[in-house]
Amino acid sequence: MADKKNHDEHLERITNQLAESVLGLSDEAIIAETTETGADPEQEAERTRLVLRQASKALDNVNKRLSNLGHTINPNYWWPGPGEYHNNCRSCGSLVSLTTATGEMQGDAFDAPCTESGQYAIRRREASGK
Amino acid sequence: MAHLLSMIDTRPQFEPPQPPEPSLPPTKSINASSKSALLVENDESLLNFLRRSLKDEGYAVRTASSSEEGLRLYRDCAPFNVVLIDYCVPQSNGVEIDYCVLQTNGIELAMAIRDINPSQGIIIAAFDYQNSGEVPRPRELMHIPLLIDISKFQLRSLLEKIDVDRAIEALTPSELLRLQQFAAFRVRGLGRAARGRTGEDLLAEALLGTLIGAEVTGKGRHWNKDVDFVQHLTGAMRSISSCWKRQFKEKEAYLISELPLHDVEEQRDSLLENVASGDPAADQCLIEKDERDRVLTIFKADPEATQVLHGLLGSLRKNEIMSSYRLDEKKYAAAMKRIRVKLLGRRNGGGRGEKHGR
Repeated sequence: MADKKNHDEHLERITNQLAESVLGLSDEAIIAETTETGADPEQEAERTRLVLRQASKALDNVNKRLSNLGHTINPNYWWPGPGEYHNNCRSCGSLVSLTTATGEMQGDAFDAPCTESGQYAIRRREASGK
Repeated sequence: MAHLLSMIDTRPQFEPPQPPEPSLPPTKSINASSKSALLVENDESLLNFLRRSLKDEGYAVRTASSSEEGLRLYRDCAPFNVVLIDYCVPQSNGVEIDYCVLQTNGIELAMAIRDINPSQGIIIAAFDYQNSGEVPRPRELMHIPLLIDISKFQLRSLLEKIDVDRAIEALTPSELLRLQQFAAFRVRGLGRAARGRTGEDLLAEALLGTLIGAEVTGKGRHWNKDVDFVQHLTGAMRSISSCWKRQFKEKEAYLISELPLHDVEEQRDSLLENVASGDPAADQCLIEKDERDRVLTIFKADPEATQVLHGLLGSLRKNEIMSSYRLDEKKYAAAMKRIRVKLLGRRNGGGRGEKHGR
């Protein structure tokens, strides 16, 4: 049984060490290595930045879409699931799910406007100087 | 504003007004760059609360209690990174300042404070000036507010997001490549546990976890600004990939336990055997053994790389590998490089974004 566990861990051990070794490379070395793999370092770097930007945008999109539908979530109540984060509209209780890898939005909250959103409507105030 | 003040005072999250606090010492990393905020608000309690929140996030805060004063500060001290304006500060309409803000490049967040909901704390309308394409003329803007509950955590999350977005833009090409390759190797090591996910998926999850961590500090992967952003993301990726592996093993162990094990002599299912096993399934072992052998075969003609791989398999550290196989620093580094390039090159050969563990 020990051998089985070893097989399971061997590859992981190698690749994790390789991952750690990447962090110690100089700027020139990492760019040179990327070139040697046949990829364009600049293109690869920008592609990676895009991945990060898109992930950041995913959360914005959720907030904006919920806002347009009148839902209000408590940002303190996100809870993680496998590959997803979940929340509920605190007015109507509809479910909000965000798939982390794709930024995909799911749940009842995206299907219909909040039925209880009236109580959170903004009361327009007159400017005190007017 | 008097009724608003009384509402605020009833909220537990708002502390009583305090005298202005001394500026926080600058922290390393992103906070080291000067971040400035303009706060236009005539409600003293709210002003203090917002000022504290902004200062906690490392902002140098300028405050004004009227529109005119705010405009003067804005003209004299712009650009600001963040501008918070009460929609109805005395003497003028906050929209006018909004309009000035709209003209300025480099602003990262501007909000007009619209109203206060006594049951929820403060609700404000916020306009994201970064997404200028989505921002219509100021007056129309007032009718399509993005509702923000500006409880302390929410404001913090907005400010954190600015920092994270700024850090993403500040990443150098070599830092981005390090992140990419780190993610690729971590996912490759997961084998079947990757369940079709790529290095990019891992990186995206680390970032999203960071942003949600800004909101859910206890559960998420909050970015401590004293830590370098690359270091933070690699730490998050280590944690997430380990979590994926653990979840995969738990699920698999559960599935194995669900297989009916037949007791030949007793002709009934053995309850004793029907217990979740922590050991990997036989087919998984074979696949991973094959993959390990495949990696070793790639470097068959490269004795130094093979030695380094055997050292890594034996959990030896760099110095131990070097002394065990009599490799000097240069040879060790060269062998590691050949391994990385060949494995990443093979990945590239199979197409970028190759799915693992299918």
